[in-house]
Amino acid sequence: MSQDLVTDRLIDFIRERFLAGDPNGELTVETPLLEWGVLDSLNTAVLLTHIRDEMGITISPVHINGRNFATVASIAALITSIPVVSAS
Amino acid sequence: MKPDFDVAIIGGGPAGSSAAAYLAGAGMSVAVFESELFPRPHVGESLVPATTPVLVETGALAEVQAAGFPKKYGAAWTSAESRKVPFSGDDGMSHDFQDFRAEIEFAERDQAGVHLDYTFHVDRGKFDLILLKNAESRGAKVFSGVRVLNVDFDDPELVTLTARMGPREINYTARMVVDASGRHTLLGKQLKYKMPDPVFNQYAIHTWFEGLDRRALSNNPEQVDYIFIHFLPISDTWVWQIPITDTVTSVGVVTQKKLFTEAKADREKFFWDCIGSRPDLYEALQKCERVRPFKPEGDYSYSMREICGDRFVLIGDAARFVDPIFSSGVSVAMNSARLAAADIIAAHQTGGDYSKASFDTYARKIRRGVKSWYEFISIYYRLNVLFTAFVQDPKYRLDVLKMLQGDVYDGEEPKALAAMKEVVEAVENDPTHLWYPYLGSLRATGPAEASPAEEPVTVAELAEPALVGG
Repeated sequence: MSQDLVTDRLIDFIRERFLAGDPNGELTVETPLLEWGVLDSLNTAVLLTHIRDEMGITISPVHINGRNFATVASIAALITSIPVVSAS
Repeated sequence: MKPDFDVAIIGGGPAGSSAAAYLAGAGMSVAVFESELFPRPHVGESLVPATTPVLVETGALAEVQAAGFPKKYGAAWTSAESRKVPFSGDDGMSHDFQDFRAEIEFAERDQAGVHLDYTFHVDRGKFDLILLKNAESRGAKVFSGVRVLNVDFDDPELVTLTARMGPREINYTARMVVDASGRHTLLGKQLKYKMPDPVFNQYAIHTWFEGLDRRALSNNPEQVDYIFIHFLPISDTWVWQIPITDTVTSVGVVTQKKLFTEAKADREKFFWDCIGSRPDLYEALQKCERVRPFKPEGDYSYSMREICGDRFVLIGDAARFVDPIFSSGVSVAMNSARLAAADIIAAHQTGGDYSKASFDTYARKIRRGVKSWYEFISIYYRLNVLFTAFVQDPKYRLDVLKMLQGDVYDGEEPKALAAMKEVVEAVENDPTHLWYPYLGSLRATGPAEASPAEEPVTVAELAEPALVGG
């Protein structure tokens, strides 16, 4: 899956699921998600589940740190760096 | 001199009565000395399916089924997380409580020797009485209201128990003794085998409520009789919710001992202060009637240097207790009785050598089983958010369920454990990890071999604790 496609899907999901649709279109790929409280420890787990179910990529909880989840861009980079194994 | 009995058992709770049923069933002469008069209240009300094979083998299952205890089909965990969302577009912050649940159903995994999809939540007064009467019906001699004071091992051929009956002390002899005295840990104290756990020092306060609206707390009507574990936003603290009857619910707060002692004598206020951190629970319980006094339980985390020796074995809580979080206690009691009885019967049938080596298999198997529990419990307290994540991960769910079913005696190291330890280590070493603030505050407080009090114990250290024998 291309990083662009991953990025688009992530933005859609986060807008819909955590930002009530983001009506003012404020979320960008560089929005600092953790600083701004868009992501926290629990809904990051929800995001990981979504990534596993929809994209077939399993990210270990080992990687849920500030650097990887800082922005949509950094999450997309993490996702595309993981070799795809068969979807669970 | 012929001893009075083949085996004397100290304690008539689930460990002692199960051991008595196995041994009497094999034709041995058995005496059980129970210090209280049953029925009597007791903590430890939620069972796990690993108790079922023991109920079947000792012949007690039919009576337990007939007693009408609530059926436990699974377990659920809830927490409340308060979130601040400045990105909502408002000028200020908005807060909302996100309800985070995980649940398991026992039926999701086949378990050897278990033919039922459910186990039970029990009024221990009633349950323990059923098991003790069952032991008696199999031929065990039960002495009620008789407290064993100590055991003399001087004679190499037998043991002598000194028991108080009313105003007199009377001696009874047997070829060997089984200590099933629970947290009284009679032999553990007498022989100075008892060691406090270096990490766990939790405290519980519990009671029964009438009229709790379990449906309102549950979301799902099929889970209304599950055990619920409610996390509180206080470090290392949680609440159990266990159905006892259709209208009575057992509720207990488990927390760090130091928080309880700092609260001084007012147990009731401490209980409500803890519950108050979960407004949904608080409101539901405030509408109820409390029908028992608040009962504290403490100093319940310990191990024994030895759990067997020449002419004795320790079983159940008298051998080991860790923490109630996974409802392991009654299962360990009953399965340790099963495993110990197997060795005792084998010794009886091959000439009556009750020396320590005869109980090797028991000691090895029970320590291995308890080690599994211990490691999961440690991980739970270290990072309970991780625990719920693994329950929800299809790759590890059944492995966690196996442990929750109490299926821990087959000697296989649970696969999820290694993966969980890896995550915990990663979190401990990365302050930017999102779960870092959720690390529990386990501190070693025990004897010299424990870590200094300032350093949090890491999971790597917990992985091979000196006091968990192998």
